Amino acid sequence: MKILIADDERLSRHLLQKTLERAGYEVTAVENGRLAAEHLCRLDGPRLALLDWVMPELDGPEVCRLVRQQRKQVHVHIVLLTSKESKKDVVVGLESGADDYLIKPCDPEELKARLRTGLRILQLEDKLVEAREDMRFKATHDSLTSLLNRGAVMELLSRELVRTRREKASITILLGDVDHFKQVNDTYGHAVGDEVLREVAKRLLSSARSYDLVGRYGGEEFLIVLNNSDARYALARAEQIRNAVARLPVQTTRGPLAVTMSLGVLASGTEGPCSVEDILYEIDMALYAAKAAGRNCSKLVEPKFACAEPAAT
Amino acid sequence: MREKESPNVQVLNIPELLAQLGDDRALLGELLEIFKEECPPLLRSLAEAVSSKDARVVERTSHNLKGMLSTLSAPRASSAASQLEQMGRTGEMSGCRGTLTILEAEVVSLLVELENCLETAEQ
Repeated sequence: MKILIADDERLSRHLLQKTLERAGYEVTAVENGRLAAEHLCRLDGPRLALLDWVMPELDGPEVCRLVRQQRKQVHVHIVLLTSKESKKDVVVGLESGADDYLIKPCDPEELKARLRTGLRILQLEDKLVEAREDMRFKATHDSLTSLLNRGAVMELLSRELVRTRREKASITILLGDVDHFKQVNDTYGHAVGDEVLREVAKRLLSSARSYDLVGRYGGEEFLIVLNNSDARYALARAEQIRNAVARLPVQTTRGPLAVTMSLGVLASGTEGPCSVEDILYEIDMALYAAKAAGRNCSKLVEPKFACAEPAAT
Repeated sequence: MREKESPNVQVLNIPELLAQLGDDRALLGELLEIFKEECPPLLRSLAEAVSSKDARVVERTSHNLKGMLSTLSAPRASSAASQLEQMGRTGEMSGCRGTLTILEAEVVSLLVELENCLETAEQ
């Protein structure tokens, strides 16, 4: 665990450093408050700090205030060191944002015990952050495929549409549906159906770029958003993705299954105030056309698509 | 103004010092070296500040000395430094010179005690 020691008095600083190194800490020792603040405000800076109260440039409480203002993402556990005479100022120190204080010269065993308390608080914070991130992931991802869920992919699509218009960029949106999926479920059971969906999700994800969006739109329907994708190649990209799904049979517990996908494709330019709903309606139509054309193919939304200004109609 | 220090208060509290160092004799040697380097210039600055009645420098230098001396478990010297710090803080400087003399004498005794302690430890 990294810890920062700030004390302008070299002898105490050396003693603290040695004591904590012996206790297994990775110590950075500095001689003034400005350097302490610099280290503590770094993103990967130490999350435990022992600050002397009286220091040149910035004193302990000033460093506390600065760190509390600037490093809000994570908690830094700060212990102020004070001499016996300034004990009455302890309230000032704690109100500046310090978590604890110790009277100098401090007993090494007490020092280590107080720091262990700090570590427990930091571990608790880490657990809470992890739980929050886990919940955030679960709220935005589909539990079966781990792709973005419908709500999340729609929300991101709507943001991407705004950005695309603002930047006069282009965007390609694909809606893919696994062909004859109901038969898979009916013939082999839902567990095998789930295996197929998981594998299709994996293939879609690996054929998209890191900044594209891939989400599970509904049962066996997937929405793919290709950002900054040249409209002229929209159909070719859709075909690539379709091939990535269909190229090899999906290995299931009931043996290999041939799986194909039909896709509706919309290549949007800069024009038009189109809602996500309008766009999806049009792509859905293209997807139906692909199904009607025998499945395992991609169909573009016709260019007549009413994304132009309403005055043009 | 000679302060009323109890004769029982030691120049160096050896058990307390060793407990602080986790009985690390090598560390004691390192601290002694640092003390020998850091203390004389601080005492010089303090003496100059006392002569020129610069209360702020008196406060700051005696604060640093006090930190070092209390870390070394030297109650008499650190108490003298603490009194000087207080005088610097309040600007009540009349007793400074006397206390400085006491501090200087205590530091000399402390150095002797620390050397002895290190020697005993090394044997």
